[in-house]
Amino acid sequence: MLDIKIDQKGGVMLSGRFDASQVNKAKPVFDDIKESKTIDLTALDYISSAGLGILLTTQKRLKDSGHQLILKNMNKHIREVFKYAGFDRVFQIE
Amino acid sequence: MQAEFNRDIESLKDIFSFIQSFMDKEKLDQDLESPLNLVIEELFTNMLKYNPGNKKKIEIDLKKEDDRISIILTEFDVEPFDIRTVAEYNARQELKKRPEGKVGLHLVKKYVDDIDYEYNNRISKIRLIKNLRTLHA
Repeated sequence: MLDIKIDQKGGVMLSGRFDASQVNKAKPVFDDIKESKTIDLTALDYISSAGLGILLTTQKRLKDSGHQLILKNMNKHIREVFKYAGFDRVFQIE
Repeated sequence: MQAEFNRDIESLKDIFSFIQSFMDKEKLDQDLESPLNLVIEELFTNMLKYNPGNKKKIEIDLKKEDDRISIILTEFDVEPFDIRTVAEYNARQELKKRPEGKVGLHLVKKYVDDIDYEYNNRISKIRLIKNLRTLHA
């Protein structure tokens, strides 16, 4: 189960599991992002290529208009997935 | 341990529970959870994507064999699909040129140590090996 929270300053927090069964829930939220955002992954336990795909699509769209997603507080498993996928080259990771 | 799963994205939660039960039974390092979940999710969802009309359940078999884990996914009444023949994903590619797909099977190949494939009588069987010695390598 994926939980997505947006705080009053517009920061986005993901928690739980970002797998293929959560795409329909996550896609409209990410489609609504129109400017640079920091995504806090502190409580995100797991991500698969389905979650990576949504982040990539959003990053491409934002970069075209001079914005970007910044990802912070990844656990070691998610950091490894990003490294293996080469996504650490196309996202700013804090 | 072996179980069959409906060809439905909602089966993922049951698959993840099945993997956790296997890990508990074999007392495996929890660092294996994410890689096992990921490789099985990627293959399972790939099977759903490429055989949408098929109603036959997908079988998953997990075994601990000495210092390695064997993962077998079996699909029935399908055309052959050998993931070893899929073109390499370029993980160094710049953002604009990256395809919005294809990374899943690349991750499978990164996480496992060996992949075998068999196809007979319209039964497709993918066998993955994860060496426990390379888990923290």
